[in-house]
Amino acid sequence: MDKKKRTRFIIIILILLTLTFISTILSGGGAEEEPINEVMQDAVLHSYGKVSLFGLIPVNPALISAYTVTGIIFVFALIVRIFVIPRFSEIPGRFQLVLEQAVGIFDNLATSNSPHRHKFLGAYVFTAGVYIFIGTLFELLGVIVPTISGGSITLPAPLADINGAISMGVLSYCVILSGGIAGNGFKGVLNTLKDLSLPISMSFRLFGALLSGALVTELVYYYNTTSYVIPIFVAVMFTILHALIQAYVLTMLTALFYGEVSEPSSDE
Amino acid sequence: MPLNIDWQQILLHMFNLILLFGILYILLYKPVRDYMAKREEEYKKREQQTKDALSDAEKLKDDYEKMLKDAEADMAAKRAEISAAAEADREQIISDAHSRAAKIVDEAREKALSEHDRLMARTQAEITDYVSKAAEKIVMQDDNLSDDFDSFFESAAQQKEAGNG
Repeated sequence: MDKKKRTRFIIIILILLTLTFISTILSGGGAEEEPINEVMQDAVLHSYGKVSLFGLIPVNPALISAYTVTGIIFVFALIVRIFVIPRFSEIPGRFQLVLEQAVGIFDNLATSNSPHRHKFLGAYVFTAGVYIFIGTLFELLGVIVPTISGGSITLPAPLADINGAISMGVLSYCVILSGGIAGNGFKGVLNTLKDLSLPISMSFRLFGALLSGALVTELVYYYNTTSYVIPIFVAVMFTILHALIQAYVLTMLTALFYGEVSEPSSDE
Repeated sequence: MPLNIDWQQILLHMFNLILLFGILYILLYKPVRDYMAKREEEYKKREQQTKDALSDAEKLKDDYEKMLKDAEADMAAKRAEISAAAEADREQIISDAHSRAAKIVDEAREKALSEHDRLMARTQAEITDYVSKAAEKIVMQDDNLSDDFDSFFESAAQQKEAGNG
């Protein structure tokens, strides 16, 4: 792109931005159909926007997100398993490197935190990390589904729902408990039960972190005046950062506690 | 339930997570980790082979150095042996040369003595000859002496004839 073309491109962008900004001002600041407090409350509780799960039961949209994310990951993993992994070479290409890095990071996390017992832990933290990361990024796609009340709703991140976050927290706690049993038997169970607040803290940490991002995004999108340009930074930055940070935090905590409770006691 | 917590949905989420765990473990995690482990094993094997080869090379080097040292020691011993042999040969040669020289000197001495004797004899003969010639000349110069000689020779010839007759 030469200098003249670049100048023309910048001028066009500026004109478009000015026009959209003026039209936003002239439109009177938005004609919100439901008040902001209701929107925010619904984003947290999902009391109204229920979605039908395969026509069987009404569920929160996050559950649909969860199954969609699993479907996407399944298709991706299947393609990779059939077409990519058999062609792995000793000197890895870019894609192979990404896959090896992803597996290697979680494997190392498990190995470093629980050196004596880490095979199952590595697989679990890999799953949890991938699920949290992809699930959070899934929010960016903005997939719209019909609600049972006849409206439509954008699918949120699976873990922005309290039920999804609780299931992840409880499952992680169960994994830690299994590590305690496998490593120390009954003593391991006691060690794990000592940290009974763990599933609650993990669940609510995850829920709170992802929900805060969702709420800020919801708030930004709610008003017309703030729904231009700003969401690009706010939504994308919040989503990507939460995807990375929460994936790291939960997997790290799980690996840490798993290693602690499954460590053979010194008197053995 | 407060916060719209629904146990059924929690269980559905868990089912989804366990399903995802199975999918990811079978399709991605295990194959990739196995491949990485296999490659690591291969690298370790190669590293071990390299170490072994290096160790063999070091051993071989030590052996060769030892052989070199042994060869040097052998060479030194041989050199000393050869040197001693050469010294003995030299002594022998010198001794032979001395004895030969002594023999030559003896022979020369004998030859010189013989020559000396021969020369002395010849000189004596020549002196005798000279003396006789000188005596003859002296005699010739004296007439009486010459008559005496003549009379001597004549009487000798007469005596010889008388003996024959």
